[in-house]
Amino acid sequence: MHRIIRLCYRKIIDSNSRQPWDVAVFNATHLEFYMQAQRMDPDGMFTTFQEFSTDEQQAEQLQYLTSAGAIGYIRQLNDIMPDIANTYEKLCLPFRNFKFEIIQSHIENKSQHRVAIWFYSEPITWIDTVGSQLLIAYGDHSESFRSGKEIETEMIELVPYLSISHINPVGTES
Amino acid sequence: MERKEFLKRGFSALGFAAIVSCSNNSIDPVETAETATGSTGSGGSCTITASETAGPFPTIVPGNYVLNDITSDRTGNKLTVKITIQNKNNSCTALAAALVDIWHCDATGNYSQYGGSGMQSTNYQKVNFLRGRQTTDANGLVTFTSIYPGWYSGRAPHIHVHIYNASGKSLLVTQIAFPEATSALVYAQGVYKSHGQADTTNARDNVFGDGVSTEMATVTGSVTTEFELTHTIVVSA
Repeated sequence: MHRIIRLCYRKIIDSNSRQPWDVAVFNATHLEFYMQAQRMDPDGMFTTFQEFSTDEQQAEQLQYLTSAGAIGYIRQLNDIMPDIANTYEKLCLPFRNFKFEIIQSHIENKSQHRVAIWFYSEPITWIDTVGSQLLIAYGDHSESFRSGKEIETEMIELVPYLSISHINPVGTES
Repeated sequence: MERKEFLKRGFSALGFAAIVSCSNNSIDPVETAETATGSTGSGGSCTITASETAGPFPTIVPGNYVLNDITSDRTGNKLTVKITIQNKNNSCTALAAALVDIWHCDATGNYSQYGGSGMQSTNYQKVNFLRGRQTTDANGLVTFTSIYPGWYSGRAPHIHVHIYNASGKSLLVTQIAFPEATSALVYAQGVYKSHGQADTTNARDNVFGDGVSTEMATVTGSVTTEFELTHTIVVSA
């Protein structure tokens, strides 16, 4: 039985990140956090994201405004999710939606800056699970299953921080 | 060509045909720069390898607030915003390399989205209308292309400005006020007309009410052509 699902990968970026893309996002989002934090707190009462988080709306605004530092880099991924490779070790998972999260940050102590980007895949057809790998095909292939047409497939390892985030009951047919 | 190399290329070509959506598994944000791999040592007869553009590799990008044209999908009378930043602590000379954020409302008084913890799309263009950031040049100048701001209840027409030094330290948060006669002409026509005239004068505004001597912009132009705003902001940097 196949199902139409979305995968979500939560990528954590902090001072230990070494990949050039990760480092660029780390630097850009810390600068943006520092700038936006000063805008929201002109009197300089707060230094950490946790202190801003006592006001839920304020924390949400700060996360959203800080995400602008990352968006240019996210667009450079050309809608292909980072880190998540197929069996051929190629990045393959298409995404168009993401969520930006500040886990922790400090306006001056950059080493405390820690963010996560949640990448949500486009709908994919989950056909089977082979070992620890998902056998999938990109897009909704429900019609091919009905007509018996051959489908090009892919296998993706379920690595840490990768999860099935959505399932579409309409596309669930055997 | 060695057999091994041939096989490698052959397989990569096959791979491309079969898995067209795949990409390299490392994204390196590098500056687009010319690279030469040949030797330039003295007396060398070798030829410098031709440079190529960085191709599919991404470049270092500024945050998405960094825009000259902040209009996005908003309509209204075109307004070029020219702000010069001067440093009081340096004989009021131009402050170069300062980061200048501006934001203002659209013709009907709405700001672009300001928060939300939900999903965002990689196609974000329309979300951040009428917000932008520029870095001052050697003359302390930043230039934005936008539209004449509208107004919302309780406030006189204005543009928000936040100035930071090059490392992001806040120097000044301020607002730019508009000449009321010019705003009245703008709000009587076009996409502004249905929203009517501003309900708050500069004198009665709770921000500008204490005087607009350092906050009033010079605005030239007309509703039949376009407008240009010039303004100087002095900070202590």
